[in-house]
Amino acid sequence: MRRLLSPRNLIFALFVTLAVVPFLANKYYVFIANLVLLYMILAVGLNLLIGYAGQLAFANAAMFGIGAYGAGLLQAHFGVPYWLALPSGALIAMVSGTVMALPALRLSGIYLALVTLAFAQFTLWVMSHWDTVTFGAGGFSPPRIDFGPLPLTQPNGMYLLSWLAAAGLIWFAWNAMGSRIGRAFVAMRDGEIAAQALGIDLLRYKALAFALSGFYAGTAGALYGGVLGFVGPEGFDLLQMVLHKAAVVMGGLGSIMGSIIGAVILVVLLEVIREFKATMEIAFGGLLLAFVLFQPRGIVDLLRRKLGWDERLHYKAGPDQTAPSEPTPAATRKPAE
Amino acid sequence: MTATKHGLLAATAGLCVAALLGVAAARADSTGVTQSEIKIGAIGPLSGPIYMWGKLAMNGVEAVFAEVNAQGGIHGRKLVLVREDDDCKPERAIGAIKKLAYDHKVFAVVGGACSNATLAVRPELEAAKIPMVVNSAVADGITNPVAANIFTTQLTASVESRAQLQFAMERGAKNIAIVAQHDAWGMARYTPLLEAFKAKGITPVADEEIQAEPNDATAQILRIKGKGADSIILVTYPKAGAILVRDALKLGFKPLWVGQTAINDMDVFQKQVGLPGALDNFFTITATRYQPTDPEMAEWSKRIKALFPGDELSVFNLNGIGSAQVMVEALKNAGKDLTREAFLQAMGKIKNFKTDVYPGPITCNAPTSHQCNQSPAWIQIQDGKPTVIGVTTLN
Repeated sequence: MRRLLSPRNLIFALFVTLAVVPFLANKYYVFIANLVLLYMILAVGLNLLIGYAGQLAFANAAMFGIGAYGAGLLQAHFGVPYWLALPSGALIAMVSGTVMALPALRLSGIYLALVTLAFAQFTLWVMSHWDTVTFGAGGFSPPRIDFGPLPLTQPNGMYLLSWLAAAGLIWFAWNAMGSRIGRAFVAMRDGEIAAQALGIDLLRYKALAFALSGFYAGTAGALYGGVLGFVGPEGFDLLQMVLHKAAVVMGGLGSIMGSIIGAVILVVLLEVIREFKATMEIAFGGLLLAFVLFQPRGIVDLLRRKLGWDERLHYKAGPDQTAPSEPTPAATRKPAE
Repeated sequence: MTATKHGLLAATAGLCVAALLGVAAARADSTGVTQSEIKIGAIGPLSGPIYMWGKLAMNGVEAVFAEVNAQGGIHGRKLVLVREDDDCKPERAIGAIKKLAYDHKVFAVVGGACSNATLAVRPELEAAKIPMVVNSAVADGITNPVAANIFTTQLTASVESRAQLQFAMERGAKNIAIVAQHDAWGMARYTPLLEAFKAKGITPVADEEIQAEPNDATAQILRIKGKGADSIILVTYPKAGAILVRDALKLGFKPLWVGQTAINDMDVFQKQVGLPGALDNFFTITATRYQPTDPEMAEWSKRIKALFPGDELSVFNLNGIGSAQVMVEALKNAGKDLTREAFLQAMGKIKNFKTDVYPGPITCNAPTSHQCNQSPAWIQIQDGKPTVIGVTTLN
């Protein structure tokens, strides 16, 4: 039974379920499933940066927005077809992410958080105020995406693209974190000086972590613009950042499976909360508090203990696996000198 | 033989007509309508800092529906309101509309509080062919260019902006300054305001930006004062407006203030400003003819209190009441065999309809314009009480 419920099998089952949603569910549930796919990409990308590489960054919502704006504006201003605008948006976000790695070389912890937060606010300001390019605070609707000659409507076409992107990026992240890259990230997270002593090039791997995270967020952003048919600055504010972090925290830091679980829970939760009108802030805030207090390593840690999951390079608890208040390696790590 | 031929032709023609009628009947969309009820959806923020434009407007709609239901409903059908929270975000609003359309299967939607969120759902509404009556969001793009199934009973941003400038000029203003928020809400009004200035061939003497939640506006006021402005057009939320008025008075600057519908709860605004005499020269637009404390609103006040114990009637309730009354009128006029097509036709034909709350009559000039409210009224504090002083007829 435990073997049957392994992370790989569950991911496979989840993607099979998501693949059949458009055939079985109405358009509302298809939309929600599409958001699940996008938040999975976002959470996995952010987890690579903060969970594996240990960089406390707050610019994921900005990267998400850069991807959405990049792809949308290329279509709106230059008539670039979506098949080209989508990877372009992701690449623009990846380049922005790589630039973000520069301050990360000299800063860590709270200082890095502040710099990335400032970058996120600056990005939001540009989106809202550079009217001639970004259409300003009112946002814009990118041109309709034509999936011809495939017999697909825009919602179904976007769903298919999101499914393929999520599957591909999760597969890549899973394998990358099991490779030399993942080991370098974790070494960097656990101690930069020790990592350097082991011959790990900090510049290279920090840039790679930010670039990968930017690419994931940018891809999700470029898809998001197509799914919504609208791009506006309020979709990429601090609340959006909180949602990404919440998905990672609820699922489990430093775990691909945790990110997937966190994203599913987050999107479903936001919709369930919709049912309890006007209680969103209380319910969501309470849940986050409960996780931080009682399950700080996320749901995946619980599943690891109950089902014996063992994900490569996932944070391991110490000898006393039941102690929930035990600090994570990232929390105990001293800032880089 | 000829008679037989004629008979055959007539029979064929009859069959064709019957078939066409059948197709037409099959196409007529009566989703959300049963023998006993009509399901209407509502979207808007139910919590957060601007819940008033969502939740309270919905309460107003609910009060009208309760009144109609108490009188037997519309052609025997009760009105049922299904609320969905859009959190003022495009993503949430699209989810809310999809839920109302495909899960709750509502007949029509009323509401829409935030401009960007409502703009974002326009393509979805058009694709799902659900009629919508907007009651709070003001962005012109929601209804212009005309979408066959979207109407608004709220004053739109361009109507308000033109009215603000016209009012200032009618009051003798020569050097007019602007203070605006440059967020999604503010830009939806600021852009048409600049166009209105251009159309009149004037340039604002100062054009200042302010945040939605500022702590101080001394810098803006000093710059405006330095430019010799005699009037200020405000494109701000109440908090920013109150801080501007307070700081101006503090610096001995007493221009003509011209607000808009975001600052139409003057009782609350007066308390926010908190300085006696600060609002002597302050005028603002209201989308409603009466203030909640006016005797003409006593009945609605009672109904709101009965439905939502603890609530006091507010101007946000009035927005909901006005839009729901227009919707109810169109539902009645659409007839017993209610379809979305019949309802949209009835909405488009509404002419000079007087509600209990809007300053002027509601006229929807379909298919040219679905912006059915063109009558901004003005309020001022007189003897410590918000008082409607007139209605602007736009030049």
